Amino acid sequence: MKKAIPILLLAMAFVACQKDPDLNELSSDLIVYTSHDKGANFGKYLTYAIPDSILVLDDKSKPTYFAANDPRTTAIIGAINSEMKTRGYTEVNDNADADVGLQVSYVKDTNTIISYASANPYWWYGYDYYWPGSYWNPYWMGWGPSYAYPISYTYTIGSLIIEMIALEDANPSTKKIPVIWTAYMAGILSSNQININRTVSGIYQAFEQSPYLQSSAQ
Amino acid sequence: MKKIKHLLGSLLLLSAMSLPTATNAQLINGGYFTADWQFNAPVSNDYANVASGWGMAFEGGYYVIPNMSLGLYVSYHTNNKYIGEQVLHLSDTESLYTDQQHSIYQVPFGVATRWRFTTDKMFEPYIGVKLGASYIRMESDTQVYTYYQDRWGFNVQPEIGLNLFPMPTTRVGLHLALYYSYSTNHSHVLTYNIDGYNNIGFRLGLSF
Repeated sequence: MKKAIPILLLAMAFVACQKDPDLNELSSDLIVYTSHDKGANFGKYLTYAIPDSILVLDDKSKPTYFAANDPRTTAIIGAINSEMKTRGYTEVNDNADADVGLQVSYVKDTNTIISYASANPYWWYGYDYYWPGSYWNPYWMGWGPSYAYPISYTYTIGSLIIEMIALEDANPSTKKIPVIWTAYMAGILSSNQININRTVSGIYQAFEQSPYLQSSAQ
Repeated sequence: MKKIKHLLGSLLLLSAMSLPTATNAQLINGGYFTADWQFNAPVSNDYANVASGWGMAFEGGYYVIPNMSLGLYVSYHTNNKYIGEQVLHLSDTESLYTDQQHSIYQVPFGVATRWRFTTDKMFEPYIGVKLGASYIRMESDTQVYTYYQDRWGFNVQPEIGLNLFPMPTTRVGLHLALYYSYSTNHSHVLTYNIDGYNNIGFRLGLSF
Protein backbone atom coordinates (compact mmCIF):
# COMPACT_ATOMS: atom_id res chain seq x y z
CA MET A 1 0.00 0.00 0.00
CA LYS A 2 2.77 2.42 0.96
CA LYS A 3 4.46 1.84 -2.38
CA ALA A 4 1.29 3.00 -4.07
CA ILE A 5 1.43 6.44 -2.45
CA PRO A 6 4.04 7.91 -4.81
CA ILE A 7 2.17 6.56 -7.80
CA LEU A 8 -1.09 8.05 -6.54
CA LEU A 9 0.54 11.42 -5.96
CA LEU A 10 2.11 11.43 -9.39
CA ALA A 11 -1.21 10.50 -10.93
CA MET A 12 -2.86 13.39 -9.11
CA ALA A 13 -0.23 15.72 -10.51
CA PHE A 14 -0.60 14.52 -14.05
CA VAL A 15 -4.32 15.10 -14.08
CA ALA A 16 -3.60 18.65 -12.95
CA CYS A 17 -5.59 20.86 -15.18
CA GLN A 18 -7.60 23.99 -15.26
CA LYS A 19 -11.01 23.83 -13.67
CA ASP A 20 -13.21 24.82 -16.58
CA PRO A 21 -15.72 27.53 -15.78
CA ASP A 22 -19.35 26.50 -15.78
CA LEU A 23 -20.66 27.75 -19.14
CA ASN A 24 -24.20 26.96 -18.01
CA GLU A 25 -23.89 30.02 -15.80
CA LEU A 26 -23.74 32.18 -18.92
CA SER A 27 -27.23 33.59 -19.11
CA SER A 28 -26.99 35.07 -22.56
CA ASP A 29 -26.53 32.95 -25.67
CA LEU A 30 -26.07 36.07 -27.74
CA ILE A 31 -22.90 37.93 -28.54
CA VAL A 32 -22.95 41.05 -30.69
CA TYR A 33 -19.85 42.59 -32.26
CA THR A 34 -19.84 45.89 -34.13
CA SER A 35 -17.09 47.81 -35.87
CA HIS A 36 -17.09 50.92 -37.99
CA ASP A 37 -14.97 53.18 -40.16
CA LYS A 38 -13.60 55.85 -37.87
CA GLY A 39 -13.43 58.31 -40.74
CA ALA A 40 -17.00 57.85 -41.91
CA ASN A 41 -19.42 60.72 -41.45
CA PHE A 42 -22.64 58.87 -40.75
CA GLY A 43 -24.52 62.12 -40.42
CA LYS A 44 -24.13 63.05 -44.07
CA TYR A 45 -26.09 60.03 -45.29
CA LEU A 46 -29.81 60.57 -45.57
CA THR A 47 -31.20 57.59 -47.45
CA TYR A 48 -30.67 53.85 -47.45
CA ALA A 49 -31.66 50.78 -49.41
CA ILE A 50 -31.95 47.27 -48.11
CA PRO A 51 -32.56 44.09 -50.12
CA ASP A 52 -35.81 42.29 -49.40
CA SER A 53 -34.03 38.97 -48.94
CA ILE A 54 -31.16 37.60 -46.85
CA LEU A 55 -28.14 35.95 -48.42
CA VAL A 56 -27.40 32.49 -47.02
CA LEU A 57 -23.69 31.73 -46.86
CA ASP A 58 -23.26 28.01 -47.30
CA ASP A 59 -21.39 25.51 -49.44
CA LYS A 60 -23.91 25.52 -52.28
CA SER A 61 -22.59 26.13 -55.78
CA LYS A 62 -25.16 28.86 -56.29
CA PRO A 63 -26.27 31.57 -53.88
CA THR A 64 -29.42 30.95 -51.87
CA TYR A 65 -31.55 33.43 -50.00
CA PHE A 66 -34.20 33.64 -47.34
CA ALA A 67 -37.02 34.90 -49.55
CA ALA A 68 -38.84 38.18 -48.98
CA ASN A 69 -41.95 36.43 -47.65
CA ASP A 70 -39.99 34.19 -45.26
CA PRO A 71 -40.97 35.09 -41.67
CA ARG A 72 -37.26 35.16 -40.74
CA THR A 73 -36.63 37.77 -43.43
CA THR A 74 -39.57 39.95 -42.50
CA ALA A 75 -38.58 39.92 -38.82
CA ILE A 76 -34.90 40.66 -39.43
CA ILE A 77 -35.37 43.28 -42.17
CA GLY A 78 -38.22 44.79 -40.17
CA ALA A 79 -36.01 45.25 -37.11
CA ILE A 80 -33.24 46.86 -39.19
CA ASN A 81 -35.73 49.19 -40.89
CA SER A 82 -37.17 50.19 -37.56
CA GLU A 83 -33.74 51.08 -36.17
CA MET A 84 -32.61 52.90 -39.31
CA LYS A 85 -35.73 55.05 -39.35
CA THR A 86 -35.32 55.81 -35.65
CA ARG A 87 -31.84 57.11 -36.50
CA GLY A 88 -33.26 59.45 -39.11
CA TYR A 89 -32.49 57.54 -42.30
CA THR A 90 -35.12 57.29 -45.04
CA GLU A 91 -35.63 54.08 -46.95
CA VAL A 92 -35.68 54.26 -50.75
CA ASN A 93 -36.61 51.50 -53.14
CA ASP A 94 -34.17 52.40 -55.90
CA ASN A 95 -30.56 51.59 -55.10
CA ALA A 96 -29.45 54.49 -57.32
CA ASP A 97 -31.12 56.92 -54.92
CA ALA A 98 -29.58 55.46 -51.77
CA ASP A 99 -26.63 56.98 -49.95
CA VAL A 100 -25.92 53.74 -48.11
CA GLY A 101 -26.91 50.11 -48.58
CA LEU A 102 -27.43 47.42 -45.99
CA GLN A 103 -26.57 43.87 -46.91
CA VAL A 104 -27.69 41.10 -44.58
CA SER A 105 -26.18 37.60 -44.60
CA TYR A 106 -26.84 34.48 -42.61
CA VAL A 107 -23.91 32.11 -42.04
CA LYS A 108 -25.14 28.58 -42.50
CA ASP A 109 -21.80 26.92 -43.10
CA THR A 110 -18.40 27.61 -41.55
CA ASN A 111 -16.62 27.34 -44.88
CA THR A 112 -17.27 31.04 -45.12
CA ILE A 113 -14.49 32.99 -43.51
CA ILE A 114 -14.01 36.69 -43.53
CA SER A 115 -10.40 37.66 -43.27
CA TYR A 116 -9.47 41.15 -44.29
CA ALA A 117 -6.54 43.29 -43.34
CA SER A 118 -4.77 46.04 -45.20
CA ALA A 119 -1.92 43.64 -45.91
CA ASN A 120 -4.26 41.01 -47.26
CA PRO A 121 -6.56 42.17 -50.00
CA TYR A 122 -7.99 38.68 -50.53
CA TRP A 123 -10.65 39.35 -48.02
CA TRP A 124 -13.30 36.76 -48.71
CA TYR A 125 -12.46 33.09 -48.74
CA GLY A 126 -14.66 30.13 -49.42
CA TYR A 127 -17.64 31.86 -50.97
CA ASP A 128 -17.83 33.45 -54.37
CA TYR A 129 -21.29 34.88 -54.24
CA TYR A 130 -20.99 37.44 -51.47
CA TRP A 131 -22.90 40.62 -52.32
CA PRO A 132 -21.39 41.69 -55.68
CA GLY A 133 -21.05 45.36 -56.56
CA SER A 134 -23.37 44.73 -59.49
CA TYR A 135 -26.20 44.02 -57.08
CA TRP A 136 -26.17 47.68 -56.08
CA ASN A 137 -25.45 49.11 -59.48
CA PRO A 138 -25.50 47.19 -62.78
CA TYR A 139 -22.47 49.20 -63.95
CA TRP A 140 -20.41 48.08 -60.96
CA MET A 141 -19.58 44.69 -62.41
CA GLY A 142 -16.43 43.39 -60.72
CA TRP A 143 -16.46 46.05 -58.02
CA GLY A 144 -15.84 44.91 -54.49
CA PRO A 145 -16.00 46.13 -50.94
CA SER A 146 -13.19 47.86 -49.07
CA TYR A 147 -12.81 47.96 -45.30
CA ALA A 148 -11.23 50.70 -43.24
CA TYR A 149 -10.87 48.27 -40.35
CA PRO A 150 -9.50 44.76 -40.16
CA ILE A 151 -11.87 41.86 -39.96
CA SER A 152 -10.53 38.46 -39.13
CA TYR A 153 -13.30 36.23 -37.94
CA THR A 154 -14.13 32.68 -38.72
CA TYR A 155 -17.84 33.12 -38.61
CA THR A 156 -19.63 30.34 -36.82
CA ILE A 157 -22.66 28.40 -37.96
CA GLY A 158 -25.82 30.28 -37.12
CA SER A 159 -24.62 33.85 -37.13
CA LEU A 160 -25.85 37.00 -38.83
CA ILE A 161 -23.80 39.70 -40.54
CA ILE A 162 -25.11 43.16 -41.37
CA GLU A 163 -22.89 45.47 -43.38
CA MET A 164 -23.52 49.10 -44.23
CA ILE A 165 -21.84 50.15 -47.47
CA ALA A 166 -21.41 53.74 -48.57
CA LEU A 167 -22.88 53.68 -52.08
CA GLU A 168 -22.44 57.43 -52.29
CA ASP A 169 -18.69 57.06 -51.76
CA ALA A 170 -18.04 54.22 -54.19
CA ASN A 171 -14.76 54.87 -55.94
CA PRO A 172 -14.76 54.37 -59.76
CA SER A 173 -10.96 54.47 -60.02
CA THR A 174 -10.39 51.68 -57.50
CA LYS A 175 -13.76 50.00 -58.12
CA LYS A 176 -14.24 49.73 -54.37
CA ILE A 177 -17.33 50.35 -52.27
CA PRO A 178 -16.45 51.33 -48.68
CA VAL A 179 -17.94 49.19 -45.92
CA ILE A 180 -18.46 51.64 -43.09
CA TRP A 181 -20.25 49.55 -40.46
CA THR A 182 -20.31 45.85 -39.61
CA ALA A 183 -22.56 44.14 -37.12
CA TYR A 184 -22.02 40.49 -36.36
CA MET A 185 -24.10 38.41 -34.00
CA ALA A 186 -23.65 34.79 -32.98
CA GLY A 187 -25.57 32.43 -30.77
CA ILE A 188 -28.87 33.00 -32.56
CA LEU A 189 -29.69 29.32 -33.05
CA SER A 190 -32.08 27.27 -30.95
CA SER A 191 -32.35 23.58 -31.85
CA ASN A 192 -30.60 24.34 -35.15
CA GLN A 193 -33.23 26.92 -36.10
CA ILE A 194 -32.90 30.70 -36.07
CA ASN A 195 -34.37 32.04 -32.86
CA ILE A 196 -36.15 35.11 -34.21
CA ASN A 197 -36.61 36.83 -30.85
CA ARG A 198 -32.94 36.48 -30.02
CA THR A 199 -31.89 37.64 -33.49
CA VAL A 200 -34.09 40.73 -33.29
CA SER A 201 -32.69 41.44 -29.82
CA GLY A 202 -29.22 41.18 -31.33
CA ILE A 203 -30.10 43.69 -34.04
CA TYR A 204 -31.42 46.16 -31.47
CA GLN A 205 -28.26 45.64 -29.42
CA ALA A 206 -26.04 46.23 -32.47
CA PHE A 207 -27.65 49.61 -33.06
CA GLU A 208 -27.65 50.48 -29.37
CA GLN A 209 -23.89 50.01 -29.14
CA SER A 210 -23.41 52.07 -32.32
CA PRO A 211 -24.63 55.53 -31.28
CA TYR A 212 -22.68 57.15 -34.14
CA LEU A 213 -25.30 55.77 -36.58
CA GLN A 214 -27.31 58.96 -36.80
CA SER A 215 -28.42 60.84 -39.88
CA SER A 216 -28.24 64.62 -39.85
CA ALA A 217 -31.73 64.59 -41.38
CA GLN A 218 -33.19 64.02 -37.94
CA MET B 1 0.42 22.47 -21.58
CA LYS B 2 2.44 19.38 -22.54
CA LYS B 3 5.67 21.08 -21.53
CA ILE B 4 4.15 22.12 -18.23
CA LYS B 5 2.98 18.59 -17.54
CA HIS B 6 6.43 17.18 -18.34
CA LEU B 7 8.06 19.75 -16.11
CA LEU B 8 5.54 19.11 -13.40
CA GLY B 9 6.19 15.38 -13.70
CA SER B 10 9.94 15.84 -13.41
CA LEU B 11 9.57 18.01 -10.33
CA LEU B 12 7.26 15.47 -8.77
CA LEU B 13 9.64 12.61 -9.51
CA LEU B 14 12.47 14.48 -7.84
CA SER B 15 10.28 15.41 -4.92
CA ALA B 16 8.91 11.92 -4.55
CA MET B 17 12.42 10.64 -3.89
CA SER B 18 11.90 11.85 -0.38
CA LEU B 19 8.77 9.78 0.12
CA PRO B 20 8.72 7.13 2.84
CA THR B 21 9.11 3.61 1.61
CA ALA B 22 9.14 2.10 5.06
CA THR B 23 7.90 3.17 8.43
CA ASN B 24 9.79 6.06 9.96
CA ALA B 25 12.20 6.42 7.07
CA GLN B 26 12.65 8.39 3.87
CA LEU B 27 14.17 7.23 0.64
CA ILE B 28 16.63 10.02 1.25
CA ASN B 29 17.23 10.43 4.95
CA GLY B 30 16.33 14.00 5.92
CA GLY B 31 13.97 14.47 3.01
CA TYR B 32 10.36 15.54 3.16
CA PHE B 33 7.36 15.75 0.86
CA THR B 34 4.00 17.49 1.14
CA ALA B 35 0.90 17.09 -1.01
CA ASP B 36 -1.87 19.61 -0.32
CA TRP B 37 -5.28 20.75 -1.33
CA GLN B 38 -5.09 24.49 -1.82
CA PHE B 39 -7.58 27.30 -1.24
CA ASN B 40 -6.78 30.79 -2.43
CA ALA B 41 -8.22 34.25 -2.84
CA PRO B 42 -6.85 36.66 -5.44
CA VAL B 43 -6.15 40.16 -4.17
CA SER B 44 -5.61 43.47 -5.96
CA ASN B 45 -7.36 42.39 -9.12
CA ASP B 46 -11.01 42.06 -10.01
CA TYR B 47 -10.68 39.93 -13.13
CA ALA B 48 -11.36 36.55 -11.52
CA ASN B 49 -11.27 37.37 -7.83
CA VAL B 50 -13.62 34.73 -6.48
CA ALA B 51 -11.86 32.58 -3.88
CA SER B 52 -11.76 28.90 -4.76
CA GLY B 53 -10.42 25.54 -3.70
CA TRP B 54 -9.63 24.36 -7.21
CA GLY B 55 -5.95 23.74 -6.71
CA MET B 56 -3.22 21.54 -5.31
CA ALA B 57 0.35 22.07 -4.18
CA PHE B 58 3.33 19.74 -3.97
CA GLU B 59 6.71 20.29 -2.37
CA GLY B 60 9.66 18.04 -1.74
CA GLY B 61 13.04 18.78 -0.27
CA TYR B 62 16.01 17.83 1.84
CA TYR B 63 17.23 19.25 5.15
CA VAL B 64 20.78 20.33 4.35
CA ILE B 65 21.24 21.28 8.01
CA PRO B 66 18.92 20.09 10.78
CA ASN B 67 16.67 23.14 10.54
CA MET B 68 16.98 24.30 6.96
CA SER B 69 15.84 22.57 3.81
CA LEU B 70 16.16 23.08 0.07
CA GLY B 71 13.66 21.64 -2.35
CA LEU B 72 11.29 22.04 -5.24
CA TYR B 73 7.67 23.08 -5.43
CA VAL B 74 4.86 23.13 -7.92
CA SER B 75 1.20 24.03 -7.58
CA TYR B 76 -1.77 24.75 -9.76
CA HIS B 77 -4.91 26.72 -9.15
CA THR B 78 -7.98 28.07 -10.94
CA ASN B 79 -10.14 31.06 -10.01
CA ASN B 80 -13.28 31.84 -11.99
CA LYS B 81 -15.77 34.69 -11.97
CA TYR B 82 -19.01 35.32 -13.85
CA ILE B 83 -19.38 38.72 -15.55
CA GLY B 84 -22.87 39.75 -16.63
CA GLU B 85 -23.86 41.16 -20.00
CA GLN B 86 -22.09 44.37 -20.91
CA VAL B 87 -20.69 46.20 -23.90
CA LEU B 88 -16.90 46.03 -24.09
CA HIS B 89 -15.24 48.76 -26.13
CA LEU B 90 -12.43 46.74 -27.68
CA SER B 91 -11.00 49.72 -29.52
CA ASP B 92 -12.17 53.14 -30.67
CA THR B 93 -14.11 51.45 -33.49
CA GLU B 94 -15.10 48.04 -32.06
CA SER B 95 -17.67 47.05 -29.46
CA LEU B 96 -18.64 43.63 -28.17
CA TYR B 97 -21.78 42.75 -26.21
CA THR B 98 -21.60 39.53 -24.24
CA ASP B 99 -21.55 37.97 -20.81
CA GLN B 100 -18.45 36.08 -19.76
CA GLN B 101 -16.85 33.58 -17.47
CA HIS B 102 -13.46 34.89 -16.45
CA SER B 103 -10.79 32.41 -15.47
CA ILE B 104 -7.23 32.58 -14.18
CA TYR B 105 -5.23 29.35 -14.19
CA GLN B 106 -1.80 29.53 -12.62
CA VAL B 107 1.05 27.02 -12.33
CA PRO B 108 3.94 28.39 -10.26
CA PHE B 109 6.98 26.15 -9.70
CA GLY B 110 10.60 26.44 -8.68
CA VAL B 111 12.85 26.09 -5.65
CA ALA B 112 11.72 26.16 -2.04
CA THR B 113 13.50 26.60 1.27
CA ARG B 114 12.24 26.13 4.80
CA TRP B 115 13.41 26.89 8.29
CA ARG B 116 11.83 24.64 10.90
CA PHE B 117 11.87 25.94 14.44
CA THR B 118 12.07 22.53 16.06
CA THR B 119 12.92 19.05 14.99
CA ASP B 120 10.34 17.78 17.40
CA LYS B 121 8.92 14.41 16.47
CA MET B 122 5.33 15.64 16.67
CA PHE B 123 5.05 19.39 15.94
CA GLU B 124 7.17 21.00 13.30
CA PRO B 125 6.35 24.68 12.74
CA TYR B 126 8.30 26.37 9.98
CA ILE B 127 8.62 29.42 7.77
CA GLY B 128 9.60 29.19 4.16
CA VAL B 129 9.91 30.96 0.88
CA LYS B 130 9.52 29.74 -2.66
CA LEU B 131 11.06 31.31 -5.75
CA GLY B 132 10.46 30.31 -9.32
CA ALA B 133 8.56 30.77 -12.54
CA SER B 134 4.86 31.17 -13.03
CA TYR B 135 2.69 30.21 -15.96
CA ILE B 136 -0.68 31.98 -16.02
CA ARG B 137 -3.53 31.57 -18.49
CA MET B 138 -5.94 34.52 -18.47
CA GLU B 139 -9.16 33.45 -20.14
CA SER B 140 -12.60 34.81 -20.97
CA ASP B 141 -15.28 32.36 -22.11
CA THR B 142 -18.44 33.41 -23.91
CA GLN B 143 -21.11 31.15 -25.32
CA VAL B 144 -19.42 31.33 -28.69
CA TYR B 145 -15.75 32.23 -28.29
CA THR B 146 -12.93 31.74 -25.84
CA TYR B 147 -10.38 34.53 -25.59
CA TYR B 148 -7.15 33.80 -23.71
CA GLN B 149 -3.54 34.73 -23.29
CA ASP B 150 -0.72 32.58 -21.85
CA ARG B 151 2.10 34.41 -20.14
CA TRP B 152 5.16 33.61 -18.04
CA GLY B 153 6.58 35.49 -15.09
CA PHE B 154 8.51 35.13 -11.85
CA ASN B 155 6.87 33.89 -8.68
CA VAL B 156 7.64 34.38 -4.99
CA GLN B 157 5.73 32.80 -2.12
CA PRO B 158 6.43 33.39 1.56
CA GLU B 159 4.80 30.71 3.67
CA ILE B 160 4.25 29.82 7.31
CA GLY B 161 3.24 26.29 8.17
CA LEU B 162 3.05 23.39 10.52
CA ASN B 163 3.70 19.69 10.13
CA LEU B 164 1.91 17.51 12.63
CA PHE B 165 3.00 13.91 13.09
CA PRO B 166 0.47 12.36 15.51
CA MET B 167 1.95 8.88 15.37
CA PRO B 168 5.53 8.76 16.60
CA THR B 169 6.23 5.52 14.78
CA THR B 170 5.49 6.89 11.33
CA ARG B 171 6.51 9.96 9.35
CA VAL B 172 3.11 10.36 7.73
CA GLY B 173 1.49 13.49 9.14
CA LEU B 174 -0.75 16.46 8.49
CA HIS B 175 0.41 19.65 6.86
CA LEU B 176 -1.13 23.12 7.17
CA ALA B 177 0.30 26.29 5.67
CA LEU B 178 -0.70 29.90 5.05
CA TYR B 179 0.88 31.54 2.07
CA TYR B 180 1.04 34.65 -0.04
CA SER B 181 1.90 34.40 -3.72
CA TYR B 182 3.02 37.11 -6.10
CA SER B 183 3.71 36.58 -9.79
CA THR B 184 5.05 39.21 -12.16
CA ASN B 185 2.92 38.09 -15.12
CA HIS B 186 1.35 40.70 -17.39
CA SER B 187 -1.68 39.64 -19.42
CA HIS B 188 -4.29 41.28 -21.60
CA VAL B 189 -7.59 39.79 -22.73
CA LEU B 190 -10.36 41.80 -24.41
CA THR B 191 -10.40 45.04 -22.40
CA TYR B 192 -8.88 43.55 -19.24
CA ASN B 193 -5.31 43.75 -18.00
CA ILE B 194 -3.40 41.98 -15.28
CA ASP B 195 -0.22 43.66 -14.14
CA GLY B 196 1.19 41.31 -11.54
CA TYR B 197 -0.90 38.66 -9.82
CA ASN B 198 -1.33 38.40 -6.03
CA ASN B 199 -3.15 35.83 -3.99
CA ILE B 200 -3.32 34.59 -0.44
CA GLY B 201 -4.49 31.22 0.76
CA PHE B 202 -3.93 28.13 2.77
CA ARG B 203 -2.84 24.58 2.07
CA LEU B 204 -4.03 21.49 3.84
CA GLY B 205 -2.70 18.03 3.17
CA LEU B 206 -0.30 15.28 4.02
CA SER B 207 3.31 15.52 5.01
CA PHE B 208 5.89 12.77 4.78
